[in-house]
This record gives sequence, structure tokens and C-alpha cells, in this order.
Amino acid sequence: MTRLARIPLALLAVAASALMPAAALAAAPSVPVTQPLVILLGNHVAHASASITARVIEPVAALRPLTKVRTVLPVMGLVTGKDGNRWYHVRLPGRPSGHTGWILADQTIRSSTEWRIVVDVSMRHVEVYRDGLAVRGFSAVVPKATTPTPYGEFFVEEAERIAPHDVGGPYALAISARSDIFQEFEGGPGQIAIHGTDGLSDPLGSAASHGCIRLSPSAMTWLARRIGAGVPVTVER
Amino acid sequence: MNVPFRPRRCRLPGIAFVAALACAAAPVTAGAMTPVNLGTAQPFVVLAGATATNTGPSVLNGDLGVAPGTALVGFGLPAVVNGATNAANAVAAQAQLDLTTAYDVAAGEAVLPVNDLTGTDLGNRVLKPGAYRFTSSAQLTGPLTLDAEGDPAAQFVFEIASSLTTASASSVVLLNGANPCNVYWQVGSSATLGTTTAFQGNLMALASISLNNGATVIGRVLARNGQVSLINNVLDNTRCNGGTSGSGASSSGAAGGAGGTGGTGTSAAAALKTQANQVSSPRSTITRNGTTSFQRTPHATCTSGFRASVHGRLIRSVAFRVDGKTIERQAKRPFAIFVRSLPGAHTVTAHVTFRDATKAKTLQLGYRACADAVLTPANGPSQFTG
Repeated sequence: MTRLARIPLALLAVAASALMPAAALAAAPSVPVTQPLVILLGNHVAHASASITARVIEPVAALRPLTKVRTVLPVMGLVTGKDGNRWYHVRLPGRPSGHTGWILADQTIRSSTEWRIVVDVSMRHVEVYRDGLAVRGFSAVVPKATTPTPYGEFFVEEAERIAPHDVGGPYALAISARSDIFQEFEGGPGQIAIHGTDGLSDPLGSAASHGCIRLSPSAMTWLARRIGAGVPVTVER
Repeated sequence: MNVPFRPRRCRLPGIAFVAALACAAAPVTAGAMTPVNLGTAQPFVVLAGATATNTGPSVLNGDLGVAPGTALVGFGLPAVVNGATNAANAVAAQAQLDLTTAYDVAAGEAVLPVNDLTGTDLGNRVLKPGAYRFTSSAQLTGPLTLDAEGDPAAQFVFEIASSLTTASASSVVLLNGANPCNVYWQVGSSATLGTTTAFQGNLMALASISLNNGATVIGRVLARNGQVSLINNVLDNTRCNGGTSGSGASSSGAAGGAGGTGGTGTSAAAALKTQANQVSSPRSTITRNGTTSFQRTPHATCTSGFRASVHGRLIRSVAFRVDGKTIERQAKRPFAIFVRSLPGAHTVTAHVTFRDATKAKTLQLGYRACADAVLTPANGPSQFTG
């Protein structure tokens, strides 16, 4: 569908929303069309505010630890500090899940993504959006009640291919969230991922995982070919 | 760089009194004009007073600024700004002061009665160098030709008391050496360039300036108090800055179609060509004759990618980068790489060095791949929470 062809649909959607009851509106997520991103060209330090003297939150490496791809962070704002430096307000990976910080705009390059993933835990469903429009939906295995996944706004840290003999293949989208239950899991930092069901027997649509979101191998193959680092991931209850 | 203004002179000073009279009676003369100097506003291709907003894949070759306002909205990808950005800082504030000075000088240029064009349309006219006046609004419908009569320093000034509006597909055509850098539009209120208008000159408005879809400007767009709004425009002032503004020329083929019909861009070869400083001193062997342009050749399918190539004279080497990661360095022709389509918006950069003293240039191509672009994730461990 072309961009021009979408405009009338968007207008229709706006017009329809005016007539919809509040409950129906709440069920229809409002998804931004694009997400600004910033690609790190060097190691950075995240600060609590847009100032070099502000509290240091953490270092942010230029490369992701699993596949050594460049770190890509969603951008929520850009300001020029009082010292004249330009600062990006970005989402950060790791604990606490969904935390944010400020990094200098130096040694970065701007980018954007038109993709977005929304995980509806209660519906056990993953919806994929492009340009603000839902393009694919997948049934998912979601976490069981005793090992819930963090809820909120996260992003894909890196995508990776899982070896055939390992569970969770064929692909995984490692996201920025970390489990609130497991500080460590299988040698990793309790990182949440959207991954496949290779080697796992729980049926799609069940609540059986330890915090991750599992999709069918075909769904993961479709996602892994399109979703790269920085893509926003929203996890809803 | 503004070309130094040289007053026109009658070339037959000693021949005949009649000839002298003829010179004195010329209907349009630039000889009495004061040169307009933009000062520190010269590097700016867009300078706004309140806000500057952009929609779509506009390309700005020159600096972008705003003062005393602070907001620059919509200048990330797919838009490309090949120049510095100054928002509410001292640079932008000084540029606004110099713009005010230039604006006032332009507004004060003496205008011969015959050059009062009030109530007429600028379209389909051929004008000689000089100052022209509209005591109310001005309208351009169709082509306006400015004939410098062979003098590249000739100055054109339009003093418009209220608004300037151009109809769709209107144009400013320069003839016989006319230089867009020496054309000044002093607009007493706001200016609006119609769709696909091909405008030239320094547009200085007291209030706001709006460029409709696809309008282009060779020169500058400078608003003193109001906003500048752009929609899918190309603005270039490198001809006025000797190619030293910003990071050099750039080409953006961003946008393309959205959704499944998207691709690596819809234009055949989105390229802007920059002419490097063509300065050669007769007293030395230092030359700056290097030129370069960055082009993209669309491939048959959007999943495959495209060929990004650098052309020009006296190129020593080209370093290609994609999203900041160095892909390849090349020291001989053809200077080209094949860029595989990746989802999302990306930037291809070519850093070009020259065999003479031409300053190295960094050129950029922005692109947004189609939905079917394929990623190939690297192998990694399975160590998630499962």
C-alpha cells in the first residue's frame, strides 16, 4: 500500500475513533509511525540529565555484547545543554528495565526505524507494526505467573541466530529488558528476548516461559529478517 | 561568498555628450546601488526567527539556524542538512542581526520611478540589474528572467512592502552571468513559494517564509521574526559560499514509498553536485579544482540494494561508510560500492580527498529501504530467560 493510499485510511481512522467508545479506543493501540534512533560510533557515558556534570548512570558500550553489532538506542529527545553540547535523551539497555539517560550527540549518527513490536501478554499475542500500521500478528508463549516479564517500553538490543542444537532458535531478538525474577539465567544476565520455540514443547498461546516471549520458528524467521537493533518493543499486560 | 559589488559604468566617457546623456538616462541602473551584505548570515541556507519546520526528504546545502526562537522540527532523516545547525545560540543571533542590517540596506535602495512595478506580475518579465519596488504585495506567475548583461557582480533588489507569492511551477531564471547570490528579495511581511517553484536569490522576509511541496531555492531563505516551513524542498547556497559551507554537497534519496511498495528511493539518481573551490592563484601552484558528486543507481529490486558512486575531478581517495561504519576505502576509479538494503533509514557517507588543495568533502546519501529488505543476524548464544 502506498503512503498516499494510507492517508485516507488514517483520516478514516481518526474519524472512526471519534465515534468509538472509550473502551474500544483503549483496545486500539496508538502506534507512532517512526522511531528516531541513534547509532553509537564510540563508547558513551549515560548521564541523569543533559550535562557533563550530571550524575553518571552507566557506561554505554559502542558494541552489543552478544553479536558485537553497533549499539542502537531509541531517541526520546534532543537538547542543547547549557554548556553548548548537544544531548540525546535515550532508552538504555539493562537494569532497571526501561530506564533512560542522556548521552552526548558526539560520536553518534542519527537513524530511524519504521518498525515496532507490541507484546500483549494477556492476549498471548505479538503484533508487528510498520509505519504505524499492523502488518503481522503472531500467537506467542508468554511468561507464567511466577516468572513475569517486565512491562513497559523497551527496544531490540540485537538480533541473533541461534545454533540448531541450542533451544530457543532459530532466531532471537534480545531486548533491553531484564527479568525482575532472575538476576542470572543460563549464564546470561536474565535478559528478556523474543525467540523461537526450537527445543521447547509448550504450545503457542500458553503461559509457560520464564520471562521471554516465544514465537513459532516461522514467525521468528520473518521477524529476524526485518527487525534490527533499536526497534521499539512495547510489553503490555 | 558574496561577489564583490562593482558599480556599472558607462564605457564611453570621452566620446560624446549625447552618449553621456544616454548613460544617465538608462532606465535601470545599478551604479547607484549600495551592495547588500549578509555578513555572518551568509553561511545559512535557512535562518528562521521563530521556528523552522520541515516535512519530508528536504535537502539543505548550507547552515540551518533559528534565533531568537529555538525550535527546529523535522530536520532528521529523511531530511538531510549538509551544514551546521545553530539553534538560539550566539551564531544564529549574530546572523539575525546581520540579516536585519542587510534587510534594511535592501529596503533603502533607491528605486527609479520606472522600476515601480506595483500592481504588476513579475512573471514573463526580463529585468536588468537594479532595484525594483512593490508598494504592496508582489506576485510571480511563470518565469521571471534576470539579465545581468554579462556582469556577474550585477545586483538585483526587490523591495516588496508586504507579501511575495509565487504560483506553482514559477521560476526565476538567471541570464548572462547573473548570480543568485546577488539577488535580494526584501519582503515586508511573508513569502510563499508555490509548489515546484524554482526560485533563486536571497529571500529576506520580515515575518515568515513558506515553501510548498517540491519548491527549490538556489540562494537563501531568511526570516527575521517568523517561521520557515519546508515541504520536500531542495535549498542550496553553496554557490554563494564557495563550497565551504557545511560538510559539502549531499544527496538524499530518502523517503521512497512506504509500505510494501517502498524501495531505496523513487528518483533515478538523487544527486547534488558540488563544485569545489575553483581557485587558482597566479602566484602559486596551489589549485583547488577538485569536484565531486555522490550518486545512487537504483537496483532492479528493492531487496537487493543500490550502487553508490562518487564522480568528479582530481579525486585521490574515497572512504565509504554506512551508518558510521567504514565499509571500504578506495584509491582508484571507479569509486563505488554496492549498498545492501537494510530496514529503516540509513546514511551512506563518502569522505572524498583530492589530489590538489581542494578541501576534503564528506558527502551523504540517506535512504530508507523497503519492507522486504532482508537482515541476516549473526550467530549468538542462547542465554535468555527462556
